[in-house]
Amino acid sequence: MKSGKIPNQVLQVGFVFLLVGTSMILVRQHFIPESFGELGHYRADAVGVIASHEIQFAGWQACMECHEDQVAAKNNSFHRTLSCETCHGAAAEHASGEAEEDPPLPTGRALCLTCHRYLVSRPTGFPQIIEELHEPAKLCHTCHDPHDPTPSERPESCSGCHAAIARVKAVSHHAPLDCEVCHEVAPEHFLRPRSNIPRKPFERAFCGNCHAAGVDTPANFRGVDLTAFEVPKVDQDTHGGTLLCWQCHYQHSPEAR
Amino acid sequence: MNPAHQAQLEAALQQVTGFIYPNEAELHWSILVVIYPYITGLVAGAFILASLEKVFKVKDLQPTYRLALLTALAFVFVAPIPLQAHLGHPERAFEIFLTPNPSSAMAMFGFVYAWYLMVVLLLEIWFEFREDMVRWRQQSRGLKKLFYWLISLGSRDVSPGAVAFDHKAVYAITILGIPSAFLLHGYVGFIFGSVKANPFWSSVLMPIVFLFSAIVSGISLVLILYYITTLLRRKTLDQKCLNALAAFLFYALIIDLSLESLDFIHRLYESEESIEILAELIFSKLFISLAIVQILLGTIGPLLLLAFALFTGLPNELKRLAFFIAAIFVQVGIFSTRWNVVIGGQLFSKSFRGLTAYKLELGGQEGLLTALGLLILPFIILYVLLKLFPPWDDARTDTKPTEG
Repeated sequence: MKSGKIPNQVLQVGFVFLLVGTSMILVRQHFIPESFGELGHYRADAVGVIASHEIQFAGWQACMECHEDQVAAKNNSFHRTLSCETCHGAAAEHASGEAEEDPPLPTGRALCLTCHRYLVSRPTGFPQIIEELHEPAKLCHTCHDPHDPTPSERPESCSGCHAAIARVKAVSHHAPLDCEVCHEVAPEHFLRPRSNIPRKPFERAFCGNCHAAGVDTPANFRGVDLTAFEVPKVDQDTHGGTLLCWQCHYQHSPEAR
Repeated sequence: MNPAHQAQLEAALQQVTGFIYPNEAELHWSILVVIYPYITGLVAGAFILASLEKVFKVKDLQPTYRLALLTALAFVFVAPIPLQAHLGHPERAFEIFLTPNPSSAMAMFGFVYAWYLMVVLLLEIWFEFREDMVRWRQQSRGLKKLFYWLISLGSRDVSPGAVAFDHKAVYAITILGIPSAFLLHGYVGFIFGSVKANPFWSSVLMPIVFLFSAIVSGISLVLILYYITTLLRRKTLDQKCLNALAAFLFYALIIDLSLESLDFIHRLYESEESIEILAELIFSKLFISLAIVQILLGTIGPLLLLAFALFTGLPNELKRLAFFIAAIFVQVGIFSTRWNVVIGGQLFSKSFRGLTAYKLELGGQEGLLTALGLLILPFIILYVLLKLFPPWDDARTDTKPTEG
């Protein structure tokens, strides 16, 4: 049974383990890249390989040399964290003067929508649009300067953002009413819409200002003379029970249910 | 987007309720990741059952000892395949051995697995079968003789002293093997339990719950295999052994159910912000697989059936049938447990505001057919192992090998 004091079977198994262990060490020596672990849990030589790749991007400092105005405007705007080449593409060749063509000028809506398309997971207050509703026929840069995208003045009308509602209202009986007749809109809403949401009417009495039986159509309702219009009247005590007006009437097109 | 992927995404989106983040519609861990803990659990469970006989001297279980070891070996060979099929690039698996990363629990699996396979299972089986391998070599010819010579590492010493040393070695390895088996499956639970971002998984109880469900699944699998192989070999079932298996299955099930209930009650009492979405998940998407299959059919049903069969004066034939049926239901229940953990844990949004759905494909790398293939593969390996290393007592008592 024994060879010396060690049983045979231990020697046999030990030999196999030794074989496996030794081959593992040899395999490791052969397969592990020499520079592995020098800088971290990766092959340090990979840094050199990556560094040897051809440089594609010039960096905004290179743009600054010729396009000082645009870069300065961008660096003071909400787009300051973006690099010029984020929108204009890699421009190392252009910066070194070797390129035959200028970097592309993105004119479509697609590029802007990469960041500004409405997505529920984007942070509140980040400017986002629903592309079908937000001036669908216009290109972004016709209203917004990409180098300084902050609107210098408020959008001309609510339809700038709420186009679908505006289109419906424009052909409804409520067409003469401005949005502000029913909505109280803080001026900040035009700059930071989601942080300053306009107030909506919340009780039947509000609609009763014009539509309650026995109430004269106001000649000056929040600055609008409504006497020229034929305003339908209902007895609010009996009409609709406890329902709120907008549970049956869509306020932007009130003849529809 | 690839049209097939798009169709898949659209199908999944129709099942979405509430709000989910864009990257949550499609599940990342598929049925193959369900199979991985299921198979690993069977390995650990079968080994722990084997250790009951060796270390804790439960002599009634002796007829299943070697069968349990070979079952564990057949399943451990298949254990990493679902992961490799799921990840793709199986050739890269070798790299985790070359450049081990101790700060990654997932990267450490290779070492846990290698330790368990090489140092515990293979070694224990080698010492356990060594004397028989010497005899089989003497009795066979040609390639088979060469095979037994190779696999016994040229061993010929069958003197009483050498055999006695084998027994001691087996005992020592089994003692080492129990914590190793706990490590193997506890590790799988650890992987899920340490996912901080997922409140369905993140629990310190996870490794323990996994471990006991593994013991339950291992015992029931060996019971099923012992039942079927004995009937196929036209031998008589050892009633004492079956009674002991059923009793251990019964006790393990009680512990498993208690731990799962403890986990459940603890979550309810803690009532963290995720509790509402988890309740919705359990009562909608997981109702059948969790409440009906896992708890009712897979745990309470077998518990009642085992209790009835064990503690009433049922005739032996009926008892055996009841044990067998209970074990089958336990297997279905444990598979469902793995499904509920892996798939269930990905069905709710991290926003806690919506649920998605898992659509199982039929074909493809991560489809149902691959999964079935991987579930059948260990039985094929086991069949080969049983042919090469018959674990039955009658295969050992034919003739004693001659020394030399």
